Amino acid sequence: MLHLTRRQILERTAAIAGIAILGGTLGSARRAAAATEITAVEWGGGVVDAMKQIESKQEKVQVNWVLHQGGSGAILPKIKATWPNAEYDYVAGWEGSFTGMLKEDWLVPVTVDTVPNLADIPEKIIVKSAKGEWMAVPRAVGGIYFAYREDISPIKLKSIDDLFDPSLKGKICWPGPTQSMMLQIVALALHAGGDENNMDPGWALMKKLAETGNIGRIAVTDTDFTTSLTSGETALGFYSEPQLTSVAQSFPLVRLTKQEGLPTFLYQSGFAVFKNRPNLEATLQFINHCISPEMSTIYAEIAGEAPLNVKAKTPDALKHLAFTPEEFDKYVYVPDFNVVLTQQDAWTKRWENEIAPLL
Amino acid sequence: MKPGRGSLLLLSPAGAVFLGFFFLPMAGLFIESFRIYVPGSIGSKADAPFTLANYGELLTPSFAGFFFETLRISLLASLVGLLFAFPLAYWITRSLAARWQPIVIGLFVTLMFLSVLVRTYALELTFGAVGPLRPLLVEIGISPNSRGYIETLVIAGLLHYIVPMATLTLLGTIQNVDPRLFDAAQALGAPRWKAHLGVTLPLCMRGLLAAFLFAFTFSISAFVIPMILGKGRVLFISNLIYTRFSEIANYPSGAAISIVLFVVAIAIVYGMSHLVNKRWKT
Amino acid sequence: MSGRLVDNVLRLVGLVAIGTIICFLLTPIVVTAIMAFDSRGYLGPLPPPSLSLRWFQRFFSDDYFLRGLGVSAQLALLSVTISVCVGVATAFAVERMSFAGKEALISLFLSPLVVPPVVTGFALLLFLSHLGIIDGFTRLLCGHIIITAPYTIRATLTGLAGIDRSLTEAALILGATERKAFWDVTFPLARTSIVSGAIFAFAVSMDDVAVSIMLTDAKTYTLPVALISSMRANFDLSIAAASVMLMTLTAILILILEKSVSLNRVIGQGVFRS
Repeated sequence: MLHLTRRQILERTAAIAGIAILGGTLGSARRAAAATEITAVEWGGGVVDAMKQIESKQEKVQVNWVLHQGGSGAILPKIKATWPNAEYDYVAGWEGSFTGMLKEDWLVPVTVDTVPNLADIPEKIIVKSAKGEWMAVPRAVGGIYFAYREDISPIKLKSIDDLFDPSLKGKICWPGPTQSMMLQIVALALHAGGDENNMDPGWALMKKLAETGNIGRIAVTDTDFTTSLTSGETALGFYSEPQLTSVAQSFPLVRLTKQEGLPTFLYQSGFAVFKNRPNLEATLQFINHCISPEMSTIYAEIAGEAPLNVKAKTPDALKHLAFTPEEFDKYVYVPDFNVVLTQQDAWTKRWENEIAPLL
Repeated sequence: MKPGRGSLLLLSPAGAVFLGFFFLPMAGLFIESFRIYVPGSIGSKADAPFTLANYGELLTPSFAGFFFETLRISLLASLVGLLFAFPLAYWITRSLAARWQPIVIGLFVTLMFLSVLVRTYALELTFGAVGPLRPLLVEIGISPNSRGYIETLVIAGLLHYIVPMATLTLLGTIQNVDPRLFDAAQALGAPRWKAHLGVTLPLCMRGLLAAFLFAFTFSISAFVIPMILGKGRVLFISNLIYTRFSEIANYPSGAAISIVLFVVAIAIVYGMSHLVNKRWKT
Repeated sequence: MSGRLVDNVLRLVGLVAIGTIICFLLTPIVVTAIMAFDSRGYLGPLPPPSLSLRWFQRFFSDDYFLRGLGVSAQLALLSVTISVCVGVATAFAVERMSFAGKEALISLFLSPLVVPPVVTGFALLLFLSHLGIIDGFTRLLCGHIIITAPYTIRATLTGLAGIDRSLTEAALILGATERKAFWDVTFPLARTSIVSGAIFAFAVSMDDVAVSIMLTDAKTYTLPVALISSMRANFDLSIAAASVMLMTLTAILILILEKSVSLNRVIGQGVFRS
């Protein structure tokens, strides 16, 4: 046994700690010298894994991956605070964040000339500016819909009325105000004869639902929902694709995308390209590569969102998101997103004032 | 004794730090709270005139309700926390053998490095709706889904922070209380509990106040604990603020709520300090 | 006689309460350890069907987490050092005063504690950007200093408050200078509290998420932020593994301190050793 003096012990501990700290800060892979480097913000988990694979299949661009930290809205104040200095070449987002970035005039318009593969993306879904310019590049589509865990749900959900079933006490996981663009209230409104322009019937129904005591948890962040369902705390809910896929990976989840009486909404996931950055061309080239048919398929398989490129293959696991035109008309509701997104603040306040106290 | 030059010199680093990293930023937030938010955009409109609308929106019974909830639960958690922490600190300082003291203290210190997110989920898994306690709760007739139970769980989550920190704070206080005073009270015929009430407690008052204020301020600004254990149904003010700083991007409204919380909380902290220090002059 | 009875009953109640609270405090540690070895890829009800080391492997194999750890450690050390210096100086200066505004001043110094961290971070982001400070590490340092300083100030104030003024006065009467009286009499007596303040500050800095999220930039981020970012759909149990490792490290450090320097000397025993 070594006989260490107190001083030696302290010195060695400090040395090891120092090495650990330094190792942490210096340890990172060497970058290939030839490629242009861009900085991109993506979601963690399956999405960034998919994007890294897509990156590895080309050599012109090397990406410094920055992850969204706690929802797509967390990065917005940081961008606004440093504007017009921009730190990111593109930020992955959805309708919820694109419109804001658009209003702030941060984005570079995209065209079929600069991003050729856009020709294969359905034009209707592309976010446009007031002047009709295309402002974001969609890559995949995901759903926001009702689902239930077959193994623990007391009932087989078939319509909005079923939500009021007394056997569902505490079993529903309902999205919070910032989570699903309040489309859950739109769904209730549709059932009660209204829509996103006439939301009062929806709010009335929401009040009734809150009073039944069937809502177990209001999911305030993405993982809230997943954890609530995987732990068995709740058995059914309304949420978006990545979380539902996560639950479906481990449990028998019935995804009600094609159920009459329960509307399905779709959101796009895509790229918002920023102004004031030195490597615009390289960024656009990379994005074009990402939405090619092959890369879209890879993305769909790993990230779990259906590809938008009409030439790409939709994996079997995402069959629930493949609609024939008739199915689309019957089951999918496409709200006026302009209305939905500008009403977010007002609807959130209404939620806080009228619904939250009832829970 | 008025502050001399030496004192002012000593205060200057703190002055610089607090001014630069806190008060000026808060002033900026104060200004932000008067700006106009255009729905759909991010944050406030740059050159628009000022408005009181963000504060006006808060004059609703529901908002007052949220405030009241936050304060009520925080107060409860703080008092219960102190109720546990004081005997614990006393026991560690006076009754525990010197051999064990470092171990127990070390345990508390280690506990502090347990991430708040994991800790809260651990509590949810153990005591929540799907925990091993569920059958027992249902037997007794408590629904783990009821609002009362959720509130209790939030308080338990807060306690998990409050008790260790208050205990460690009170250790120093109790250490510096002369045990002979307690012995003297007993020698004069008082039973232990009366001796404690009359001698030990008053001497520890300032430490108790510090521990209480720590617990209270921690609770009212808590975010993760009410978010997870509150199941989105028990909402603290910080949860409301977070909603406005995240995808809704209504920064002016978030700023307004923050300022209101700040003013109310500071008033309470100052009020309590003043009251206690007046009553128990050491 | 009834005084004795009340005493014994209260003593029993007290011991039961202490036992309960200690069990309650230990439970999440045990549960976290179980979660860290959970083989499932999601957060499920206890007990886990099988155990695995996957989360630890994931933590060490991902460069992303390790870089965050490095930044967190540097940030914590730096901000705590500054906080402790600021805290001790401030507490000492304030304690000596007895002018009317003293309580108001103390409330002011503790005010960052009443503000939710997300607000502090946001306000600081706006302000620093106005000043043109956009470097991530600098911003994070400012944020961590301001959230740790109230803890060091408060802890030191508590410690100083309990010290009998006559002890310092005695030293002064016996011929010590102000400075010598501080370092030889006041400081050792307050040491428990100063050390506990430093420990709080370190724990707060290492665990902080809300402030750090607002202040990170493209190149610099802390470990808790990195762990949160990896959770988009799924609760990533790497955070449990990271917590277990951090706690183990802390426990080992404490053990080393105890064996080499004796914890009681570091933490201090106050004036009245029992």
